[in-house]
Amino acid sequence: MKTKGRIVNEGKAAGLAVVLDVPFSFIGDFDPTTGNITIPNHPLFGKTIAGKILVCPTGKGGTIAPFVAYEAEKKGNAPAAILCREADPILCESALAINIPILDSLGEDFFRYIKTGQAVSIENGEVTVVG
Amino acid sequence: MILSRDEEEMACGKHGPGLEKCMNILIKFGEAMGAEKMVPISSAHTIPREPPDLLLEMTEGVGQTGTFTTLHALMSAFDPHLWQKMGISESYASKEIPVMTQRLDVYRRLGFYETYTCLPMLVGNLPRRGDFISWIGSCAQLFVNSLLGARTNRDGAVLNLAAAITGKAPYRGLFLDENRHGQVLVELEGVDTRGITYTELGAIGYYVGSRAQQRNVVINGLPRDLNICHLLALMAPLPASGSVSICHVVGSTPEAPTLEQAFGNQKPAEVIRVDKSAIEETRALHALGRQEAVDMCILGCPHCTIQEIRNIASKLTGKKLRRGKRMWIGSPYQTYYLAQTMGYSRIIEDAGGVISSSCMATIPDSPIPDDVRTLATNSFKAAHYISRLTKGRVKVAVMEMSECIDAVSG
Repeated sequence: MKTKGRIVNEGKAAGLAVVLDVPFSFIGDFDPTTGNITIPNHPLFGKTIAGKILVCPTGKGGTIAPFVAYEAEKKGNAPAAILCREADPILCESALAINIPILDSLGEDFFRYIKTGQAVSIENGEVTVVG
Repeated sequence: MILSRDEEEMACGKHGPGLEKCMNILIKFGEAMGAEKMVPISSAHTIPREPPDLLLEMTEGVGQTGTFTTLHALMSAFDPHLWQKMGISESYASKEIPVMTQRLDVYRRLGFYETYTCLPMLVGNLPRRGDFISWIGSCAQLFVNSLLGARTNRDGAVLNLAAAITGKAPYRGLFLDENRHGQVLVELEGVDTRGITYTELGAIGYYVGSRAQQRNVVINGLPRDLNICHLLALMAPLPASGSVSICHVVGSTPEAPTLEQAFGNQKPAEVIRVDKSAIEETRALHALGRQEAVDMCILGCPHCTIQEIRNIASKLTGKKLRRGKRMWIGSPYQTYYLAQTMGYSRIIEDAGGVISSSCMATIPDSPIPDDVRTLATNSFKAAHYISRLTKGRVKVAVMEMSECIDAVSG
């Protein structure tokens, strides 16, 4: 499928999707030394988002989260891009700190369609999902 | 966004790569959040926890901070001079000290004020009502919005640093009058507000934060003669159990002379009623059993004022910490020097306590000594974070300051 989002930070990226059903924070939900998701009891616990396209509803809390995103980027453990319904201030800032593409305002069709493991590419605010 | 000439010059790199990076972060963020312009800020307060490479990138070619900028408490409670007395492990210290030195070089080159406190208003960063500022630290943000009526958003650490370096911030959120009004009303029912204790006030804050979440809070029915330490105790837990940015206290805080003004003549979206049982249930969340001894006492979250230091010294006069017990007290260096002049710090140190300009909520990685299993504090915020950051290894109870001291000294 193809769809469009609102460009919060522009850029090109491609990778496999990791789809979270809960708001995400780089602090608490994520380990920058491994790139793994650390949300307790979540089905994606222990799965890496390094180099992946992170799909989530929105972000949350944690004012030092952008520092954690930066540490992850330096270790090669940051996601390649973020796709969300609403880029809250901290998630937006985290993506800007490491200059990865982030789009928000993606439609419900997209969130119904997208599954973990699908190949996604992003360019000029346009999202292409293969498979 | 409409940009001024100097903002455009910064964005296109005319003033060097650091300002270029910072201004572009501010512009992209401002556009994403629907801000129409930037505004100059009268002060900044930043967190001394930057990854050194990021700090170097954001300050490359920058001669000095773009506005008066103070530094937040030393994070994780780690103090580069006192860590051995605090019982923090050598392996932790050996990782932290070189990074701190790298940061300090940048702070001194750019003229950051080395205040290291979560209460910068107590040590000279005192914005006026209506000033636009960018402050970090969830309590510092809440206090300055609520108690002084200066205007900060809940900026994250990178945006906040970019604002400090450029002296600008996007005009949005709590900078605008209409976003500062109350949304939820707190009414106290059957609570004796005359003799209200710090612990009760903290419990009210902790209870309200979890229900208000990110909404603006208005508290009604508190006496006007509560002092600043009472109000800090009440407000500090609001951004721990919730993420409250502003808390008006009717009749006490500058934007709430009356209930109507606190709500901008709108009706509250919700009324949160707090009664005695809500306070007791909240206190029970952070309590020890009768048989459990306290290994450690933490005071100063938020940082102790000089009056609190005097109270601690008075309580500790002629006493010592009991064998194997620990006491950490958070207070700014500037207050420490005053406590030294007045003889209070010696009493506390002779008894075995340590006074540090570091974060007593121990955010983000809580290097509480391994021998500590139980801890007493007078702060719901400290209790909230320490119990989570130590992943249950340390059990934390909230008590009055004098009870915390009694639990470890004799």
